Amino acid sequence: MADSWNLACDSYQRAITASEIESKTDPENEPYRSKYRARELLREVRALLGVEEEGGGGSREEDGDAGRLQAARLAVTEFRLGVNHTETEELSAGEEHLVRAVRLLERYRLAHDCVSVYIQAQNNLGILWADRGEIIIAQTYLESAESLYCHYMKKSGKPPVDPDEHFTSEEKRLTEQERAKRFEKVYTHTLYYLAQVYKHLKQDEKAAQYCHTTLQRQLEYDGYNPVEWAINAATLSQYYLGKQCYMEARHCLAAADVVFSKAGQVPSSEAAKETDEAEQERLDHLRQKKAEIARCWVKYCLNLLADARKKLEDNIGELDIDLQEELKAERKKQEDEKEKGRKKAVLFGSSDIYDSILAVEEKAECSLPLDFKEAREVFLVGQNYINEAKEYFQLDGHVTDHIEVIQDHSALFKVLAFFEEDYERRCKMHKRRIDMLEPLCKELNPQYYLLICRQLQFEIADTYYEMMDLKVAIGNKLDEMDSHTIKKINSLAQSAIKYYEMFLDSLRSPDKKFPEKLEDDVLRPALVAKFHIARLYGKLITADTKKQLENMQTSLSHYTFVVDYCANHEEAIKSVETELELTKEMVALLPARMERLRVQVSSFT
Amino acid sequence: MCSKTKSSEALKVVVRCRPINRKEDAAGYDRIVSMDIKLGQVTIRNPRANPGELPKTFTFDAVYDANSKQADLYDETVRPLIDSVLQGFNGTIFAYGQTGTGKTYTMQGLWAEADKRGVIPNSFDHIFTHISRSQNQQYLVRASYLEIYQEEIRDLLCKDQTKKLELKENPESGVYIKDLSSFVTKNVKEIEHVMNLGNQARSVACTNMNEYSSRSHTIFVITIECSELGVDGEEHIRVGKLNLVDLAGSERQSKSGVNGERPKEASKINLSLSALGNVISALVDGRSTHIPYRDSKLTRLLQDSLGGNAKTIMVATMGPASHHFDETLSTLRFANRAKNIKNKPRINEDPKDTLLREFQEEIARLKAQLEKRGMLSKKRRRNSRRKKSVDGDNVPETEAEEDNDENLIEKNVGNYLKEQAERLQQEKAAIQDDHSLLADEKIKMIEEKEKMMDDLTKEQKATELLAVKFKVILKNFLLNFSN
Repeated sequence: MADSWNLACDSYQRAITASEIESKTDPENEPYRSKYRARELLREVRALLGVEEEGGGGSREEDGDAGRLQAARLAVTEFRLGVNHTETEELSAGEEHLVRAVRLLERYRLAHDCVSVYIQAQNNLGILWADRGEIIIAQTYLESAESLYCHYMKKSGKPPVDPDEHFTSEEKRLTEQERAKRFEKVYTHTLYYLAQVYKHLKQDEKAAQYCHTTLQRQLEYDGYNPVEWAINAATLSQYYLGKQCYMEARHCLAAADVVFSKAGQVPSSEAAKETDEAEQERLDHLRQKKAEIARCWVKYCLNLLADARKKLEDNIGELDIDLQEELKAERKKQEDEKEKGRKKAVLFGSSDIYDSILAVEEKAECSLPLDFKEAREVFLVGQNYINEAKEYFQLDGHVTDHIEVIQDHSALFKVLAFFEEDYERRCKMHKRRIDMLEPLCKELNPQYYLLICRQLQFEIADTYYEMMDLKVAIGNKLDEMDSHTIKKINSLAQSAIKYYEMFLDSLRSPDKKFPEKLEDDVLRPALVAKFHIARLYGKLITADTKKQLENMQTSLSHYTFVVDYCANHEEAIKSVETELELTKEMVALLPARMERLRVQVSSFT
Repeated sequence: MCSKTKSSEALKVVVRCRPINRKEDAAGYDRIVSMDIKLGQVTIRNPRANPGELPKTFTFDAVYDANSKQADLYDETVRPLIDSVLQGFNGTIFAYGQTGTGKTYTMQGLWAEADKRGVIPNSFDHIFTHISRSQNQQYLVRASYLEIYQEEIRDLLCKDQTKKLELKENPESGVYIKDLSSFVTKNVKEIEHVMNLGNQARSVACTNMNEYSSRSHTIFVITIECSELGVDGEEHIRVGKLNLVDLAGSERQSKSGVNGERPKEASKINLSLSALGNVISALVDGRSTHIPYRDSKLTRLLQDSLGGNAKTIMVATMGPASHHFDETLSTLRFANRAKNIKNKPRINEDPKDTLLREFQEEIARLKAQLEKRGMLSKKRRRNSRRKKSVDGDNVPETEAEEDNDENLIEKNVGNYLKEQAERLQQEKAAIQDDHSLLADEKIKMIEEKEKMMDDLTKEQKATELLAVKFKVILKNFLLNFSN
């Protein structure tokens, strides 16, 4: 008996080694060689345990510890065999073994030497059914594993025996600490698999919650790489952003910052140059990841501001004062409830880093900013992270990333301008956008960056347009517009026209022809550009009536283009409905106005 | 106002199915894939289908069944792409499919057997045949060879194989690999040599070639620069870049971390916690958020080929047998999605950083220096330029050249050298008969003249150096550059 037991242990150990280590060096034409050998060894173990090939061990009813132990050993073997078959693409056989393992332990599943095997068998059944595309069955197994863990921890909580321990000698038994570590890892995987199952079932909220818990457990049980963890937490924050859960988003970002700092100090680009190549690579990697987290923060600030803007906007896109008061009052009321809500959410961190996370959170508000002062604070946090991101994502070497960061910077200014009441200052903010976007646009080769060039051209044009509108508004407040203001307005309008034209030119084919039919992705921008150009020509100020007539004619021809295009391509109508309505009116009105002007001109001469 | 040139075109996707192999035959696996070549359709039947479950049919630009020849694929699908590259478009061909479905056979084939040569050797022939037949054009062809293995880029033509290369972007020239070497090749033999060098470097680096190669992506890049006198009387350079991509087996892609490349299985669970980031990323709505960059060098490197300035062909490869139903179906699904990718190819005309321009400028500079030393006359250069444009009818031109050369030598070295020069000219006349040697031999002649002037010029050494440099640069040109 002792001999055969030793033999069983030995075979089991050899099976594990073959399956987990030797299999890695299997040749391509025999990819499962070691797995198959492991399988043979496991079958030997089962035979040595005294079970016939068929029939299963569950039939013998032995009571007490001995019976349980025998069942556990058998179940471990069956579990290993099940995993082995699954790994070698024999799902049906795998399922049989796994189900047998579960059945053997059904009555002992809460015993400290059985619970871990039982949960692992269920995990693997979950994986197996997911492989088969039966995600609901997978969910059932995994949720059952989850609840068994909870039940066991509530009832006993004693670190359970690891499956492999069933085949080791007494003196090689694991410490309680090691047992706990392994068991918790098993459960972490259960949650991780469940996160994926919920994702497949399109239950995103639940999936995110399970990802969150998985991250939290990684922190708790110390089995993680700080950089990877921080990136994952920062990514999770972006999920919450999409759901407008700013408190959760901020918590993830703050945790990302704190955990990332555990990876060591990130030197500046200058200091990094002085070390050897491998070290330099590592530091470069760190700098990159830090910049990535910074960009997640930027999006946080941007979304918070943009969301606030959406709430405060009136129907012409200006700040609604009444609404502002209302929202401020409402917020005051809600503040207390929020504190309560916070306690319900999953939080990161053991006590030691929890305080650090809180400290980082205090840097940034997580409720919507409702006036310029509050908006400015969020803006400044965002701008800080912009600079951090830019330090790594420089134009030369990281063109696309650099431009995305600059576009975010411009967007931050744009949304801040909404909160600014003073038009002159608002105009200056837009000027800042021009100053950062224009040089980029000049430097990029459209051959390789066509899409980005178009985005930049359009945004620059829009910004000039916005500035012109502001200058007109400022001018209208004066008794009489001075020549300086007029000049400014005209030059801004011309710049806007220039960039819209540049954008439209980028749509031309290599032989310089404007496309007969616009592609879907540029349809609206192109028609809007035409529409804006038409409006801008109408806004140019000149004392010369002839010039004025010319401008009106140009304006009319652009309006006409839009109307004609939509007449010939009906599918375009829905993309520019409001613009088209106005355009049609202009096409009807402009000729009459021009006629009147012509009469004036001729009566003067 | 109808414009013929379309600004965008879809990725061209073709599917190729290999014959059933002996092992599969012996195991008695069913054939589950059938193809309708006329309609370009593939139909796949689920071997574990529930009763009433219909087979799935996909339509592609072309399908190639087990009976298809290498030449069929090349002539119908690849040839037009290579022609475009010769015109100055960027082109990419990649093979996608499970390991063992014939990716490498499609891309490389069996080099020794003419009818089994794959896309790569066929395109080598195609390119150099085209160049040798063209007139009034100068070509410069260079090749690079790189590999991406576990997100690290290696230059297969570089001596130091441990060096990892960086992927960078430049506002002027787009995505590039820093310090990637490239070799100028003048003919099929040379470019094959470059490819062999790379393949050797690859096989040296690993002990288990099969395992390794099924996990690594390789890209063979051919850059073709072509200079031609335009209607405006100016020289224009067009640059076409051809990426020949041998992807890792599709079954490995999830493991090697290529995101967005491999179709995600509908319900498979990822076992390793290292993929937690992917799970989280999948939850994030891409708009107005930032998803921290997940390494995928391949995608970035091929970003122009997948929705940018390039013409792209994807050859999806598969096997016919039932045991790979899942993989085959996912390959088909992926190929089907790839059809939606729209590219915006444009001819790359007069980019700033061409090697050809660099060489032309260098030649002009060296020529000027040689002229200063009295080695060449301006007149002669003009003459030989003219000769290039009336290639084949060179007798009167040669005479004119000889006259010039005579004057030149008379003026510079006097009577002694005159005799030598006469002898040289006789030799040169003989050389002129052999057209293909024109460029190289002419340079040799220049060298000889230099030697003759040894006694007479104190700047001999400098001149020689110049001429050697000149020669090296000229040698890098193809035969069409017969100056």
